[in-house]
Amino acid sequence: MYFCPLIQQTKTEDLKKYTITAVRHLTESTFVLQLERNGLPFQTGQFVILRRPGTIDQREYTVYSGEQEDVLEVLVREVSDGKVTPELKKLQPGEEMEVDGPFGFFRFQPTMFPTQKFLFVATGTGISPFHSFVKTYPEHDYRLIHGVRYSEEAYEHNHFEKDKITLCTTGDKNGDFNGRVTDYLFTLKLDTDTQCFLCGNSEMIHEAFDILTGKGIPVQNIYTEVYF
Amino acid sequence: MNLSDSERVISVLDEAGYTYTDNEEEAGLIGILACSVRQKAIDKVYSRIHKWNKWKNHKNLITFISGCILPNDHEKFLKLFDITFQMKDMPKLPEMISRYGITTPVHLKTGIDPHNENIEEFWSVKPSYQSDFEAYIPIQNGCDKFCSFCAVPFTRGREVSRPSKDILAEVALLVSQGYKSITLLGQNVNSYGLDKKGEEITFSELLREVGELGNRMKKEFWVYFTSPHPRDMTDEVIEVIAQYPVLAKQIHLPMQSGDDKVLIRMNRKHNMEKYRQIVHSIRRILPEATLFTDIIVGFTGETEEQFENTRKTMEEFRFNMAYTAMYSPRPGATSHRWDDDVPLEEKKRRLHELTEELRKHNRIYNHNLLGKTMRVLVRGEDRKIGFLSALTEGKLIVRFPHENENLTGQFADVKITSASDFSLEGELVKVEELV
Repeated sequence: MYFCPLIQQTKTEDLKKYTITAVRHLTESTFVLQLERNGLPFQTGQFVILRRPGTIDQREYTVYSGEQEDVLEVLVREVSDGKVTPELKKLQPGEEMEVDGPFGFFRFQPTMFPTQKFLFVATGTGISPFHSFVKTYPEHDYRLIHGVRYSEEAYEHNHFEKDKITLCTTGDKNGDFNGRVTDYLFTLKLDTDTQCFLCGNSEMIHEAFDILTGKGIPVQNIYTEVYF
Repeated sequence: MNLSDSERVISVLDEAGYTYTDNEEEAGLIGILACSVRQKAIDKVYSRIHKWNKWKNHKNLITFISGCILPNDHEKFLKLFDITFQMKDMPKLPEMISRYGITTPVHLKTGIDPHNENIEEFWSVKPSYQSDFEAYIPIQNGCDKFCSFCAVPFTRGREVSRPSKDILAEVALLVSQGYKSITLLGQNVNSYGLDKKGEEITFSELLREVGELGNRMKKEFWVYFTSPHPRDMTDEVIEVIAQYPVLAKQIHLPMQSGDDKVLIRMNRKHNMEKYRQIVHSIRRILPEATLFTDIIVGFTGETEEQFENTRKTMEEFRFNMAYTAMYSPRPGATSHRWDDDVPLEEKKRRLHELTEELRKHNRIYNHNLLGKTMRVLVRGEDRKIGFLSALTEGKLIVRFPHENENLTGQFADVKITSASDFSLEGELVKVEELV
């Protein structure tokens, strides 16, 4: 007679569940997932980890919504051959997600900084933390440069003040500037005490880092969040 | 960290009637505490378990695994090991073993508890210390830093600090038992207390309490800590170390890379400016301290120029020790999704270059110690016959001729008579206490 260990089906440890309240499709591949807030505290710039209940694959997303809002929003771009985002895209209001967090040190409460001159540079969905910023601190001054391929990827630019945002497009000429954000950055005059926040792919961040330091911005005034 | 965890596992199994053995072949119960930082370690687990499972054809053997395990590995390990569990559930291991193969599931819940809710139960287990003069005390578990090369946040969960009163009690107990070297452990020791949001003391305050305890106990011992994160390193920590003799003048400050762009890709949240400031503070406040670091070479996308920046830091900081590793992608870590695009041969070359740099600076540092008398803690027989091996307060290796192994675990003064790249040799001047 043989005895075998009885092993139950693998399941992940439960995280707190949040109900999806809305899904806003901004382009064919990019959407805002809105969840109930459930009092989750976070600071602008922080991220949360999302996971579908009963699964083990999870991803990190910077919070897109403002600190005072009753909902929690994240901006998601579908990676067509990805394991997680195609499933997230199918989600409907009323379904649940597991949320862990918030995490991260890419935080920018304006009073934390010695000067109030903010430059935000983003590519693609890297606009998320800056969207959260304008929702949280609508009265604060800033300058945002957002780089995308096509102008249709100007995700909810109507939430920003028009004269504070520059859309850089490489795939069409319908933006404010035709070229990469780093090309535009070259043309900018900046005070050396500007606090610079970079969010997006690492190539952009590396290039922008060189350009900004070349313009005399001290390294300690450059804050980065790489999107992977 | 795993050493400290192992001591607690041994203690629990000892209570359950098992005896620890070094001989793999005579064991009836074999366990692994896995490490999630490097994929190589996990690869080794697979190779070992296949061997042990073959042994089951001719002997009774139960296998278990715990430690840093990612959910994907966990699923695979469930099929290969008899028991898998999270470290926080370790006190229940004897119960799992007794139930194994009878009627109840050996493991009811898998996956990671991200909030480490039962970690205090684990910490309350009295460890079975493997040495009677050196001990490791966990003060914090988990990580919130999310470095892109590391899976610890996904395997160990979030940063949780152990209550300071328990830490101090364990330090006091060990010192009263004659322990001479105590290391405070955690994935990010210097973010100690921050998770408690004001309800726990900070890391520098904890060190101060340890220092005060040392003054009160009037015993000689050295307290180390590892690993701190540069992001949370403050001058206050360094100043407290300078104030108390029991706080060892040795700092292990992981740098990982000497290039800002690589650090960005690693999501380290510190830059070289910050690292330099800390090293300058160490040199200013603790000029006698030795400095150790961790470096990864050949990280995804690391160019020759970026590696060169790391190499230059060896010259700039003159580390006494650098634990250098070739990058290996770890499933579960963010960087695992990227191409591991630096060829192995190139990684080997970079590793070799850093080792040579380290060797060069150590040679000069060690030669400057010739003729000096240094306080050391004797650790046992050296590989060189007729010699004992010891460590200085700064963790430099010193060997000296002596046949009496009873000196192990004692403080001694040794006059340095010769120096090589990675060790010193000397002659015994004085022993503090003889058994």
